[in-house]
Amino acid sequence: MPVTPRPDDFDERRARLRGLSDEELRARFWSRVEEIVAPLVEEARTHTTPSIERSVLLRMGFSSLEAVDLVAGMAERGLLGHGAGRLVLELSARRGLSVREAGLALLEGRHWEELVR
Amino acid sequence: MKLSPDEKLDPLEVLRDLEHYRPRRKGWTWRRRLTHQELGPFVLEDTSEPLARSVPLPSAHSFGDIDPQSDCVVTTEIASGRFEDDLRRMRMAAWHGADHLMVIRTTGQSHFDGLIEGTPEGVGGVPITRKQIRATRKALDAIEDEVGRPINFHSYVSGLAGPEMAVLFCEEGVNGCHQDPQYNLLYRNINLHRSFVDAAEAKRLVADGGLLQIDGAHNANATAKHAWKVTPELLVQHAINTAFSRAAGIPADRIALSTVPPTAPPAPKLRLDLPYAVVLREVFDGYRFRAQQNTRYMESDTREATVTHALDSLISRLTSVDIQSTIAPDEGRNIPWHYNNVAGVETARQTFMGLDGISEMIALREDGPLRGEARAILERAVLFLEEILELGGYEAAVESGMFVDSGHFPERSGDGIQRDPQGGVAAGSVVARRSDYGAPVCSHFGMNACARGGEKACDAYGGCTLCNPSKIRYVDELDPDDNVERRLERPLAERGEGLLRPEVEKHGDGVVCVTLFVPERPELAKAAALELARRMGLIEPEVIHARVLHPAEGSVFEVRGVLNEVLQVGELVIPEREARLPHTEIEAWVRPRNLHVVAGTVGEDEHSVGLREILDIKHGGIERYGFRTHYLGTSVALEDLLDAASAHDACGVLVSTIVTHHGVHRESMKRLAALAEARGVRERLLLVAGGTQVTDALARECGLDAGFGRGTTGQDVASFLVRRMQDREET
Repeated sequence: MPVTPRPDDFDERRARLRGLSDEELRARFWSRVEEIVAPLVEEARTHTTPSIERSVLLRMGFSSLEAVDLVAGMAERGLLGHGAGRLVLELSARRGLSVREAGLALLEGRHWEELVR
Repeated sequence: MKLSPDEKLDPLEVLRDLEHYRPRRKGWTWRRRLTHQELGPFVLEDTSEPLARSVPLPSAHSFGDIDPQSDCVVTTEIASGRFEDDLRRMRMAAWHGADHLMVIRTTGQSHFDGLIEGTPEGVGGVPITRKQIRATRKALDAIEDEVGRPINFHSYVSGLAGPEMAVLFCEEGVNGCHQDPQYNLLYRNINLHRSFVDAAEAKRLVADGGLLQIDGAHNANATAKHAWKVTPELLVQHAINTAFSRAAGIPADRIALSTVPPTAPPAPKLRLDLPYAVVLREVFDGYRFRAQQNTRYMESDTREATVTHALDSLISRLTSVDIQSTIAPDEGRNIPWHYNNVAGVETARQTFMGLDGISEMIALREDGPLRGEARAILERAVLFLEEILELGGYEAAVESGMFVDSGHFPERSGDGIQRDPQGGVAAGSVVARRSDYGAPVCSHFGMNACARGGEKACDAYGGCTLCNPSKIRYVDELDPDDNVERRLERPLAERGEGLLRPEVEKHGDGVVCVTLFVPERPELAKAAALELARRMGLIEPEVIHARVLHPAEGSVFEVRGVLNEVLQVGELVIPEREARLPHTEIEAWVRPRNLHVVAGTVGEDEHSVGLREILDIKHGGIERYGFRTHYLGTSVALEDLLDAASAHDACGVLVSTIVTHHGVHRESMKRLAALAEARGVRERLLLVAGGTQVTDALARECGLDAGFGRGTTGQDVASFLVRRMQDREET
C-alpha cells in the first residue's frame, strides 16, 4: 500500500521512546536494523544470480565473454541452481579435462547433456 | 614505469605490455597520522607525512613553501569519458594532495548485465573495464612513486554486474569501491532481490580483497526535495547497508559511511547539519566516515560552492572524518574541468590546515540545543525502522514508497520512490540454490557444497584467480575503432609535431573560459557578453555563469567557448631568465668590494614587504652577501634616492613600485632613468625596479637596467648586480 501523506506527529510517536537512555535508544536502533536485514541476508545465502555465477567462472579462469555464454547456456537449461562453477568442475573431473578445457568444450556446444546426471 | 616531474605522462608507456601488468599492492591505505609535526615556522597537530613532490598552497610562499598534509585521506572524483586524459588529471590532483582517486562510471554501465571489455569512450564517466583499470592502476603506481604517497584507486561495484565487478577489482588492485544494494534499487530501478543477492557476493569479495567500501546514502541527500528533512532516513539507509555488509564479512573499519552535510547557506548550515553529523558518528561508532561535500544546492557559482565546501570541511573537523571527499566547484554547471578538480582538493586542504589543532581549543557544547536535536534525529530514525517492521519488512516498505519521501519522518508527503519488489530491471533473475549448489572459488558468500571441510574451495583445480592470478583472462579490445589506441593517434601526432592548444577536459579540446563584467541590464548584458566572446574568436560561446551585481548597473559573466588556435611550441618565445649565480660566488665577489645599494618604495606607495625581502639578511636578501643596503622607506621621492646614492657612493638603486593606477609605476621608472641621466650618474648606477606588475621587459622599456616581478629572491637581484659589475670591470 502506498504511503499516504500525514503531518509530523513526532511528538506523539516519540512518547514510547522517551524513557530510553541514549545508549538504550542506540541499542534499539541496531536491533531493529538486524531484524530488517536478517531475511535479506538469508535470501542471499540461499540464492544465486547470473552475475554471481559469471563471477565464479571469472575466478575459475574464464574471460568475461566466455562467462556470459556459459551462464546463459546454463540458465536456459535451468541449471544455475547447481552452480555454474560446480557444473564445469564436475564435467572436467568426469571427462579428465582441465577446468578450462571443460568450459571451452561447453562453449563449442559439447557435453551439455551430461551436466546434471 | 617511472615518471619525471618535467616530462608529460606517456600514454603509450602506460599501455605497453599491460597484458602482464600486476598490481603491486592490494587493499586500502590510510595516511599515517602525525601530531606535533614541525614544518617551517609552525608546529602542526592534525597532519600526516609530507609529500616528496607537490604544489604547495599559494600562501605557503610566505612560510618557506611548506606543504602540510592533513591526517585524513582526500578524494577527488574524475571522469571525462576518456580515461587516458583522466590519468593526467589524476597526476595533477595527486600533486595537490589527493590520495583517493575515484572514477565515475559511464552512463548506463549500471544496466549492463556483465563486464565491458576494451576501452570504449564514455559519456559522463568512463566504462570501467579490465584494461582501463589495469592501465589506470599502472599509471597511479608511477604517480604515487612521484609524489611519495600511496594512492587509493576507487570505482563502483553496483549495477547488474556487481559480483563480477568485485572480482575484477580484487584481481586488479582497486583499493576502494561504492557498494550499496539500496542504490541499485532506489536510483537504478534494479530488482530488489537481484540487488541484495548480488550485493552479498560482492561484499564478500570486498571483505577478502581488503577494499574499503563506501555506501550510497549520500544519494538521498542529493535527491530529496528538502535535504535536511531526510536525515532520519539517512541513518536507516546507512544502517541497512552496514548491517548487510557485516553479515557478508566486511570488518567495521573498512565500512565507510558516505555522509554529506545536507544544507548550504543561506540555510543556517551548521545549526542544521551539526546535530546530524554528531548523532551519525555516535550511532556508527567504530565505522569510518567518508565526508562528502554538498552538491544538492550547488548553482553555477564556483565561489559560492567553494565557501559551502569549506564549511562542509569545517563540520568534518568539528566531528570526525576519515576520508574527505571533494566536489569540484564547477560541478553545478558542467562535468568538472581539470583545474576545478584541483580547486576542490585545495579547498579541503586549505580549510584543514587553517583548522589544524582546533579541537584542542574548542569543543561542541553539550548544554545547548545540539544534544536534544541529535536525540530527535535518532528517535525519528528508530520510528522509521519500526514502521518498516510494522509494514511487514523491507520489501513492503520499498513497495509502499517509504524511502526518499520529502516529509520529515514521521511526516509523510507521499512522494517517495516506490518500487515493485518483484519488478524492475532483471526481475526474476534470482535462482534458488539447490542442495548440491557449489561454487569452487574463494570469497564466495552463502551455501556452498564445494567449501566443506578444511580445504580451500579452489584446491580441486589448482586455485582460483584470487589465489593464482596467472589464470586471469585479459581481454584487450573488442572494437577496432572505439578504443584508446585509436583515440591517442591524433593527440600523440600533435604532440610529436609540437602543436599546442588549451584544454579543460580532453586533449586539445580548445575550451577556454573568459570573465566579463558588462555594465548593462541583465538580458542586454548577457547578449553583449556572448557577442564580445564571439569577437574574441570563441566558437559557440555559452554563458556558464551569470550573476547580477545590480539590475541597472551590470552583471558579471563567465563565458565558455572553443578557441580554435593551434600554437607551434617551437615558435614561442620564452623570456630568458638568467641563471642565478651560486651563493658562494656572489659573496666571494661582493664582500671584498664594500658595495653600497640604496633602496625604497617610490610614488605614493606604502608597500614595503617585498623590497624588505630582497634586502634583509633574515629573509635571504642581498645583505647576506655583504651588500651595504640603505633603505629609505616607503613613498620615497626619486630625488632623495639619487641624493642618497651619491652620498654613499652606491653602485645601484633598487626601487619598489606596487601601485599601478594610471600607469604610475611606469612613470616612476621612466622618471628615475631621466633624473639619473640629467644628474650625470646614469652610467655609474645600476637602476633596478621590482613589483608585482613589473617585468624585466617593462623596466628596460622605461630606461632602467632590469626589472623583477613576483617570486623574485635576493639571490636573483644579487646575481644580476654582480654580473653587470663583472662585465663593467672586464670592459
